[in-house]
Amino acid sequence: MSTIMIKRLICAAVFSGTIATNVNAEELRFTVWTGSKAHLDMLNDIANGFKQTHPDVTVRYDTIPFGDYVQKLTLQMAGGNPPDLGWLLENSAPAFVEAGALADVSKTLHATENYNYADFSTSAMGLWTKDDSVYGIPFSTSPFLVYYNKSLYDAAGLETPDQRATDGTWTWEQLKKDAATLRNADAGVWGYETVDGQGYSARVWHNLIPIIRAYGGNAWTDGTCHLDSPEAVKAIKLFHNMIYVDGSAVPPGEQGDFFSGKSALTVTQISRVSKLADANFDWGIAPLPAGPAGNAATVGQAAVVAFAQGKNKEIAAEFLAYMTSAKNVAKMAEFFPPARKSVLEGDAFLSSNPAITPAQMKIVAQGIENGSVLPSHEHFPQIEAKARPEFDALWSKDADIQATMTKLCQGIQPLL
Amino acid sequence: MSAAIKGPSLTLKAREAISGWLFVSPILTGFMIFFVGPLIAVFYYSTTEWNLLSQQSHFVGIENYVDALTRNDTFWDVLVNSLVFAAGLVPLNMLLALGLALALSRSVRGAVFFRTVFFAPVITSAVAWAIIWTFLLQHESGAVNRALSVIGINGPNWLHEPHWAMASVIFTRVLKTVGLNMILYIAALQSIPRDYTEAARLEGANGWEIFRRITWPLLAPTTLVIMVITVVGSLKVFDHIYLMTGGGPQNATLVLAFYIYEQGFKFFNTGYASALAVILFVLILALTILQTILKAARK
Repeated sequence: MSTIMIKRLICAAVFSGTIATNVNAEELRFTVWTGSKAHLDMLNDIANGFKQTHPDVTVRYDTIPFGDYVQKLTLQMAGGNPPDLGWLLENSAPAFVEAGALADVSKTLHATENYNYADFSTSAMGLWTKDDSVYGIPFSTSPFLVYYNKSLYDAAGLETPDQRATDGTWTWEQLKKDAATLRNADAGVWGYETVDGQGYSARVWHNLIPIIRAYGGNAWTDGTCHLDSPEAVKAIKLFHNMIYVDGSAVPPGEQGDFFSGKSALTVTQISRVSKLADANFDWGIAPLPAGPAGNAATVGQAAVVAFAQGKNKEIAAEFLAYMTSAKNVAKMAEFFPPARKSVLEGDAFLSSNPAITPAQMKIVAQGIENGSVLPSHEHFPQIEAKARPEFDALWSKDADIQATMTKLCQGIQPLL
Repeated sequence: MSAAIKGPSLTLKAREAISGWLFVSPILTGFMIFFVGPLIAVFYYSTTEWNLLSQQSHFVGIENYVDALTRNDTFWDVLVNSLVFAAGLVPLNMLLALGLALALSRSVRGAVFFRTVFFAPVITSAVAWAIIWTFLLQHESGAVNRALSVIGINGPNWLHEPHWAMASVIFTRVLKTVGLNMILYIAALQSIPRDYTEAARLEGANGWEIFRRITWPLLAPTTLVIMVITVVGSLKVFDHIYLMTGGGPQNATLVLAFYIYEQGFKFFNTGYASALAVILFVLILALTILQTILKAARK
C-alpha cells in the first residue's frame, strides 16, 4: 500500500470519526445575566460534571446584560433561536408561565433518582408551579441585606448594624441616623447608596419595597394596590428625608459606589460580595433594619428554567435536574443562597463562601427563612412602565408623596 | 449552425440593461430581503394583535391605530415629546453647523484642527458619548455644574428634572451630530465659485449682503438635504434617550422610537408597536414631502 493511500485512509478514518461524534453531540445553550468569572467558572464546573453521565452534551453559557435580559431573551425566542435553558427573575415568572414559554419539567424531576423535590418549600416554589406542573427551580433565593463600611463605623465610634441587630435596635430610623452621621461631604463619602446605585431607575422597587414592608405596607395584595397606604407613604417619607433633609442618601443623578468606599451603607444581595474582594476597607453585613411592623426580610428570587421552544427539551430538563440537585445547589450556595432546605440548614452552607464568615452566612439563612419574595405580576412590565413617571415625581425636594402615591395606585390598579 | 451565423438576437441596449441588472442584483436582493420585506411585514403586523412572548397572533384590522390615536393618552404625550425634540434639535444643529462651516471653510490657521475636533463626536461611539455626558451632567459632582459654580451659578440636576432633561438630551445630541452637517456645509461652501463673491465685493456688497444674496441661496440644495436627514434622524432618536434618561424623568424624554421599543420588547405587544412604527414612518414621510414642497415653492 502506498504512503499516499495510507494517508488517505487515516484522513478518512479521522473525518468519519468527527462526523460520527457530531451526529451524537448536543449543545445546550444556557442564558445567564452574570459576566463574573467566578460565577461562570462555577457554572462550567457543573456543566463538566454533567458530562460524566452525558458525555456528548456540551453546555454553553450565554451572558446577556441584566438590564436587557428579558428583552433579548424574548427576541431570541421570537426569532426562532430560543436558548434551551436560562435564568429568570421572579418578576418575569408570571408572564412567562402564563404565555406558555416555559417547559414543564415536573416529570423529569420526579423521575430523577434522589432529587428530593420536597426539599424545596411550597413558598419557594410558589411562582414556578401551576397545578401539578413545575416551570422552574429557584437557584437563588437571595435576601436583601445591609452592607456597611466597618472602617467608617469604627472611625466614628458607632455601634455597627450587626451589633444593633443582635440587641434589637437595628431599625430604619437608626440606619437613617447612622447615614447622616457618616456622610462626609468633604471626603466625597455618602451615608447611604441605594441598591446597586439604581434605586431611582431600574431598581426602584428593590429600593422601596423593603422599607415599605418594614413599615407594614406592601405593593399590592389580591389585586389591590397598597402603595398609597399611610404605612407605605410613611416609609417613603423616611427615605425621601434621607435624600432631601439629611442629604445622606446618594441622590438621583449622583454616583456614590459603596464598593469603592464612596458610601457608608447600602442594601444589596450576597452575590455582590465578590465586588469586595479588593476593598481597601473593612466591611460587614447585617439584616435589613426593622420598622414599626417588625422585621420584614425581602427576598429576590431567580430560577433555572427550560424553554418550551428549546430544541433539546428532554436533555435540557435533565440538566436542570442535575444543576439543581442537592450537590450542585450546595456548590452554587457560595454565590447564590439556596432554596433547598437541606442545604440551607447544613453546616456546609455556612462556610460555603470563604469571603463570608459563618456568622454572616447565618444572617443570609435567616433572611431566606423569614423573607417574602419581591412583588411580581403577570403584567409587571406594564405596571413598571405605568409606575415609572410617578416614582420619578417623588424625587424632588417638595414632592407631595401622598398625592404622588395615590396617583401611582390609580394608574396601576387597572393592571392588577 | 445558422443561428451562430445570424449573431446575437439582443440589441446592444438590451444587453447593457441585462448586465446592469446583473451588476446591481446582489445589492438589490439584499435590499429586498432585509429592507423592503420587513417594511411590508411591519404594515401587516400592525393589523394584528401579536404577543411576542406567547407567539400568538390574530388579525385586528385597524384597531391598533384606533387605540393609539383615540384612546392612548401616552401616545400623544410621546408624539409631542418627539416633536419638541426635533424642534429643539434641528434649528440648533443647522445653525451651529452653518456657523462652524462658515468659520472653518476658509484656509485659515488651525481650521483643519478644529474641523477634526468638531467631527470627532460623529465617529465616537454613541454609547460612550452618552455615558460620558451622564457623568458630566451629574448634579453635584458633574463637571458642568462645577464649572457653573465657579461663576456663581447653581446648576440644576440636568437629567433628573423634567424641564431640563429634554434640553440636556437635545444639547448633547447636537454636539454629537453637528460635525456631519458642518462637513456637508463646508463641502457646499467650497464649491461656490469665488468669482461670485469677488464680483459682489467689487460692486460694494458687505459680508452680510454677500451671505444673504449669494452664499445662502447657493447653499439651498445642501440645506434641504441637511434638513431632511436631521429631521429624520431626530424623529428616530433612540440610543441617546435609552442611555441617558431611559425616557424619564416623568416620561419627559419618552420619544416615539423609545415608546415603540417599550411596546414591542418590554410589553411584548409587537402588533401595537408595529402600528406605532407605521405612524412614525408616515410622520417622517409627510415632513420630508412638506420640506421638499416648501423648497420647490420658494424657487
